[in-house]
Amino acid sequence: MSKKNKQLALVIDLNVCVGCHACVTSCKEWNTSGSAGPLTDLNAYGANPSGTFFNRVQTFEAGTFPNTQTVHFPKSCLHCEEPPCVPVCPTGASYKRKEDGIVLVDYEKCIGCSYCSWACPYGARELDQERQVMTKCTLCVDRIYSDTLPESEKKPACVLACPTSARIFGDVHDPESDASKAIKERSGYALMPEWETQPANQYLPRSIMETIDAARNDK
Amino acid sequence: MRPQFSIIFFTTFAGMAQGLLFFLALSNLYSQAIPNTFLTNLALPFAFVLLTLGLVASFFHLGHPERAWRAAMMWRTSWLSREVIALPALMAVTATIYIYARISEVPPWLWLALLLTTLALWVCTAKIYQCIRFIQEWSHPSTLTNFILLGMTSGWILLELLIAVWGDTSIQMIDAPLSTIAFLLLFMSFNLKLWIWRRNRNLKPKSNLASATGIKGTNIRQTSMGLMGGSFNTREFFHHQTDRVIANLRKIILLCAYVVPMILMAYAITSPNILVIALSLLFNYLGLLAERWMFFAEANHPQNLYYQRVS
Repeated sequence: MSKKNKQLALVIDLNVCVGCHACVTSCKEWNTSGSAGPLTDLNAYGANPSGTFFNRVQTFEAGTFPNTQTVHFPKSCLHCEEPPCVPVCPTGASYKRKEDGIVLVDYEKCIGCSYCSWACPYGARELDQERQVMTKCTLCVDRIYSDTLPESEKKPACVLACPTSARIFGDVHDPESDASKAIKERSGYALMPEWETQPANQYLPRSIMETIDAARNDK
Repeated sequence: MRPQFSIIFFTTFAGMAQGLLFFLALSNLYSQAIPNTFLTNLALPFAFVLLTLGLVASFFHLGHPERAWRAAMMWRTSWLSREVIALPALMAVTATIYIYARISEVPPWLWLALLLTTLALWVCTAKIYQCIRFIQEWSHPSTLTNFILLGMTSGWILLELLIAVWGDTSIQMIDAPLSTIAFLLLFMSFNLKLWIWRRNRNLKPKSNLASATGIKGTNIRQTSMGLMGGSFNTREFFHHQTDRVIANLRKIILLCAYVVPMILMAYAITSPNILVIALSLLFNYLGLLAERWMFFAEANHPQNLYYQRVS
């Protein structure tokens, strides 16, 4: 693993995400005004607003009352190691960077055929309605390699915004990175492993449930 | 998936042209029975117009049609890119045959080239859908078989109609065998469609909320998709029709695309009649439009697991 090129990714800690959507709004704020933007909103104040977002926080429930849990679940492009969205692109606009593994779209080459979005099982790509090109999470590539931002801010906007540090950013091919250590020590897992896309982003399971269950059993 | 009318028109127009050209090539490789004037004055221009209509329709699918030329770049990995090359290639071969037929005889290698390019375009078109492994309705060889068989069927009925319109004196003699073959093609594609629908009904989705979220626990359900307005994800991957519309449309497809044309062809076998053949083609084509609509509508995309509840 370590001999391979860098693979930047996010590790999402489901133990601490509180579903505040700060990562959603900070992502939108940065990227709509950055090199990936604008992420247009149509009919923003009307009855049926619709807009482009790179990141969403969803909410799931599991279990049966009284033993239930609510899980807030941030979801963005997983920057797969075997991205099914890349080889299907007819123009080469959709590509995975060799140097850091980020999956990007070249807006100048994209013809807006939407085929890559069909080829993504996670629904990570959104066609911008106004610009008619495919858009997706860039891992804030224009932040992390910025010449002007201070070192402490060279991270994806969502990571900086998260009040509970539920988002760990790093090189998952470097075993010494915080992201790799979190995956290894806290049994990080991939979404929909059945399609063998090898997502670079991984999720940390809610180990807190074991603590809660133990407390329940003590009563 | 949301049915895309640009693709529906492209695949049905091009498919019919491919079927027509396939059988023209096949019959010319077998014997030179078809007169050159039939080719140059009717069949080849008709096929070319259909292919052009398909090409024009496909442009409406693009957000940036002015960049369409770029789509030929990634033929090494993308079936869509290969299709973008195969369609103009087929048009070029058709045009070349037209020129040869105008000035002299068409050499056999050109007919063989036509046969192969029609097949190549079918493979590219079908593989675009078949290669998406997590759309289980599409990810099966029956997708390719269905595209080829339906293209051949509509193309054959068109060929029969064109021969009938041409009004050669031998029409009475060959009309009944032509209708018999049309009936058989319709019957085969009808059975394939029933088989595909049965397969789709029995599919077990490989992805579920447990694999999509990795949440450990029973009874996982979404309580919020994280947005209350619409988004690309809520528009693009669902047909937005009620179950009732879908169920009724299935009946319409079976009747229009297959059963009614079969009845008309059975009638045409006993009493050849241009009007009956034309009606058969009309019903078949309208049915094909609905069939292609359903092809998209019945494809279940696993991303929908993430978009089930607004709040």
